[in-house]
Amino acid sequence: MPVLELREITKVFPGVRANDRVSLTLERGEIVALLGENGAGKSTLMNVAYGLLSADGGEILVDGAPVRIRSPRDAIALGIGMVHQHFMLVEPLTVTENIILGHEPTRFGVVDRKGARKRVEELSQQYGLKVEPDAVVRDLSVGMQQRVEILKALYQGARILILDEPTAVLTPQEVRELFRVIRSLVDAGLSVVLITHKLDEVMGAADRVVVMRDGRVVGETTPKETDQIGLARMMVGRDVVLRIDKAEAHPTEVVLRVTDLVVKSQRGLESLKGVSLEVRAGEIVGIAGVDGNGQTELVEAIVGLRRANSGKIALKDRDITRASTRKTIEAGVSHVPEDRHRRGLILEFDVAENLILGDHRRMPFARMGITRPGAISITARKRIEDYDIRTPSEYVLAGALSGGNQQKVVLARELGREPELLVAAQPTRGLDVGAIEFVHRRLIAERDSGTAILLVSMELEEVMYLSDRILVMYGGYVVAEFEAGEVDAERIGYYMTGGKPTESAAEPVVASGGAL
Amino acid sequence: MLLSDFFTPDLFASAIRIATPLALAAIGGAICERSGVVNIALEGIMLVGAFAGVVITLAMEASKVPFLVDNAVWFGVLAAVLAGTALSAIHAFASVTLRMDQIVSGTALNILALGLTGFLLEVIYGHAGATNSVVHQLQPVFDFPAVQGAGFWSDVWYWIDQLVFSYTPIVYMAIIAAIVGQWAMFRTRWGLRLRALGEHPRAADTVGVRIQRGRYMAVLMSGALAGLGGAYLSLEQNSSFSENMTSGRGFIALAANIFGRWTPIGGYLASLLFGFAEALEIKMQGFRDVFQIPTQFFLMLPYVLTVVVLAGFMGRAVGPAEVGVPYEKE
Amino acid sequence: MSVLRTIGVPILSVLLAVGIGSLILLAGGYDPLKAYAALFQGAFGGPMRKPLDAIGDTLVRSTPLMFTGLAVGFGFRANLFNIGAEGQFILGSLGAAWFGLLFAGLPTIASIPLILIGAALFGAAWAFIPALLKARTGAHEVITTMMFSWIALYLTSWIISGPLAESATNNFQTPMLSSAVWLPTLDKIIPGLPALKYAHAGLLVAIAAAIVVALLLRRTTLGYEVRAVGFNPTAAQNGGISIPLTTIWALCISGALAGMAGASEVLGVTHRMYDQVSAGAGYGFTGIAVALLGRKNPAGIIVAALLFGALSAGSGTMQLFASVPDKIVMIIQALIIFFVGAETIVSWYVKRRQRLALERRGAAHAAE
Repeated sequence: MPVLELREITKVFPGVRANDRVSLTLERGEIVALLGENGAGKSTLMNVAYGLLSADGGEILVDGAPVRIRSPRDAIALGIGMVHQHFMLVEPLTVTENIILGHEPTRFGVVDRKGARKRVEELSQQYGLKVEPDAVVRDLSVGMQQRVEILKALYQGARILILDEPTAVLTPQEVRELFRVIRSLVDAGLSVVLITHKLDEVMGAADRVVVMRDGRVVGETTPKETDQIGLARMMVGRDVVLRIDKAEAHPTEVVLRVTDLVVKSQRGLESLKGVSLEVRAGEIVGIAGVDGNGQTELVEAIVGLRRANSGKIALKDRDITRASTRKTIEAGVSHVPEDRHRRGLILEFDVAENLILGDHRRMPFARMGITRPGAISITARKRIEDYDIRTPSEYVLAGALSGGNQQKVVLARELGREPELLVAAQPTRGLDVGAIEFVHRRLIAERDSGTAILLVSMELEEVMYLSDRILVMYGGYVVAEFEAGEVDAERIGYYMTGGKPTESAAEPVVASGGAL
Repeated sequence: MLLSDFFTPDLFASAIRIATPLALAAIGGAICERSGVVNIALEGIMLVGAFAGVVITLAMEASKVPFLVDNAVWFGVLAAVLAGTALSAIHAFASVTLRMDQIVSGTALNILALGLTGFLLEVIYGHAGATNSVVHQLQPVFDFPAVQGAGFWSDVWYWIDQLVFSYTPIVYMAIIAAIVGQWAMFRTRWGLRLRALGEHPRAADTVGVRIQRGRYMAVLMSGALAGLGGAYLSLEQNSSFSENMTSGRGFIALAANIFGRWTPIGGYLASLLFGFAEALEIKMQGFRDVFQIPTQFFLMLPYVLTVVVLAGFMGRAVGPAEVGVPYEKE
Repeated sequence: MSVLRTIGVPILSVLLAVGIGSLILLAGGYDPLKAYAALFQGAFGGPMRKPLDAIGDTLVRSTPLMFTGLAVGFGFRANLFNIGAEGQFILGSLGAAWFGLLFAGLPTIASIPLILIGAALFGAAWAFIPALLKARTGAHEVITTMMFSWIALYLTSWIISGPLAESATNNFQTPMLSSAVWLPTLDKIIPGLPALKYAHAGLLVAIAAAIVVALLLRRTTLGYEVRAVGFNPTAAQNGGISIPLTTIWALCISGALAGMAGASEVLGVTHRMYDQVSAGAGYGFTGIAVALLGRKNPAGIIVAALLFGALSAGSGTMQLFASVPDKIVMIIQALIIFFVGAETIVSWYVKRRQRLALERRGAAHAAE
């Protein structure tokens, strides 16, 4: 009897079926890897299991009996524990305090510190998770913090442990440690679900693999029966979509040159470990990769939202490594951000005001600090027409537009500046087919007019279609580079998920540019 | 002038007394903010407590029932605590349930307290300004005989008597509150959960801690403590209520809380510092000819200190991470 | 719909507050109708008070509130809570008194504008350090500006009792300013206007300030950036706007406006500066109520200031004729702030739900 069974789970968000009748079983003492790209539905499924989300359909069975999980409390009571990608730790508290929170051993309301520490040490010994009980969580390395999270689940009596992308923030040694720990947990009788997009981990650690794509389970296998290339094929296989023809690119001079760029996050972890790339005028360079491998930091460093720790970013002959957003805009860099609501638009401003954001200090929109509403209005109307933005007038608030039209506003603004370099991150996220087609057309037109474009997208299809050159990022590095047309999705998927170059790989069928 | 003329025991004892209402409010502030709620209404709550204390005491004294008359002032203290709790309940409701801007709510309550106490003053007593005095203020707890004779040991006893045994009840309550509060915040289950609430409520929610309940409790406790501080002002330090008698102490208490790094003992010590500054200033009145520093600079001191702390000159003063942010369940 | 909300909510809040106020009056044994009638007449005139006196009084009391309301409101636009407008008001008063004494010899046409500018600069300067701290260390402006208010109180107290004292014995006020620097009363400026009690040209300056603020917000790049940072700092940053710099500008302009409030009082009403420790005007705090009620909008703020000015003017008559303690006005003010504040939850909530729905649509597309 499986220790956990998810039957026909369906979860719908407005406009998206995140989980479509997904079924998954977990046997006692098993490690199941839940594999898929961003948007596949893996985290959603596990959030349902842990009670953070409620399913719209299907049922959950623990040890064969149907259960209702309405909140994490219920899940914990049933022995399900989860270690999230973003830790649920209270930073100023100690390791022990974090572990016992919510289930404190007390005597008349006073915390039994000795008893707590003893229990923590016991668990620590038992599972080989070394921690310092009195250390403050804020001071710990990420790997250590993760151990605390795992101990917390164990302390709460978890028999089923769900790990969501646990190795995303770990060093290679810490990854090895983690898998050793997982093995010992399983030997002690726990069952583990490992959510990941990293094929090498799957092959190395899992007993079984369940592959999800677009909200459905598309395959189930074991490491013995397949290999990384086969898994990649399952992960990224796509339906064919009609394509517009595009002309060949004629790149000229180098516009963007990034050299050995290193970017550290707040905790001192390196998100970018030394990236070098070039983008020429008149070409689209696409970066493929699963979210969280450094793409965001790369984009932010280029446009000036984040400080580079070392390395160089040059726009033609101008050094913009340390430039602020204002300076990079002035230098000729435009940015279509990945989150148009948070970063791209001011929803409380009207369309016209949003269209001039970034250029609002310059002529023709302002002279000597005074804005010129006439000029703004004229430009706004022109852009609305050029980009077919569906809005009654330029004075409608941006928050009232549909997603597609909002993105058009962002695009109109950024392209209207006639930049030297356009950095576009997830430009078609959340858009319908018509809007996607429009954006793609625009990007190609922009390329043809001589702009250098750096495209970052989690949609592999999009990257493959639009790009003239494709770079793959994994773990903070650029791990592969291809000319468009020389490579197919599976091979890219292989590198996206940590695959290493092989000498004797059977070369997959080369696709011609465009159609898959 | 000898130093010994200036640094007499009553200077330090005075500092402790002046610090008392500040400390009580600061401790309340620490508890409240640790749970994630900003309470700038401490000023108004203290005022309401001061008022309620006097009103009930006077009422009890006028009742002619022996039990009530004899213990009138204790009823007053109780009333002060309850009134403070009641006012803070409004803030709790606004902040936790309505998820209103906590600073707007606090500001409104301060103005409400000022208006309400002034209004009721006139309604009940028929005139503005101040109430009558209560007949029996709170008296010092201990009453040891005065020291006879001179000499080293009698000097020591004098110091000890002044510094330790000369206080009225609420002064001791403040010290106890600081010690008990500190212990509770860092040693009990309640304290652990409290600290989690203000730092990472979602993490606490995930393990089953009840956010709303914890925050309500914390806000009410801060109200009770600030109310008690108000009782000190009207029933111990003075013997009547006068309009706006808190004079900004609630805001100094906020500063003391920051200075004390959001801990009860820290808040008490910071209040002591501010109290010492004021005691010093009062003492200096009597030494006009010697000191030329204008009194205003002493009065300014607590506020300047707070800004210095906030500017980071004494290390970053960072409060609970999620303080002031209403909690949303997904 | 949004227009309805913009006007409807403040009106509803006022009505609710007045309603609850009536209940409190009833509980205290007063007659609400009589009280409100007296309040109204005290503000606008009637049998209980001469209209010219009443309206003049209302205008005089509204004037500083217009300035402080604009001050706090401007801060709100940048998402800053300038609770220390009181302190900047005091510094502005000080500046006006000092410059007033200094420039007494200049012709009025020149001296009054100079004094007003000087007072504004004093107010801005007083907001500068809290602004800098917020920009650099993130220190919350509520606490820093509040602290600076108290420091202002004692600092000016010392200055008035010392360097600027009227005399060695009379050291709670500055000398009276020469009439050359007094703000003229309205009837002297506007031909045909009858003598309104005390109402002075400061009102016109306040209205002008409101217009300037409105233009600043709508028609300048600074205003654009202030609004951008107030609505969405992340997007503003992406658009090349410097959040620290904008914060400093916004808070300093707010301080300047509060400073002008102080100047208006000194030049128009008191003609000298009193030691505030005993006086304690409270215009800064009422300014918060005005800004909230006026929905952070210059036109709304003018109207809200008139309302609060009327309340204040009427309270004296109410006390006299209906024997109602004037403190009821403060209670009503507090209730108004509360209800307006509570409303923003509704609109915030609605907006948030819209945003969440949109985000989920986008996020789920890429979510796991």
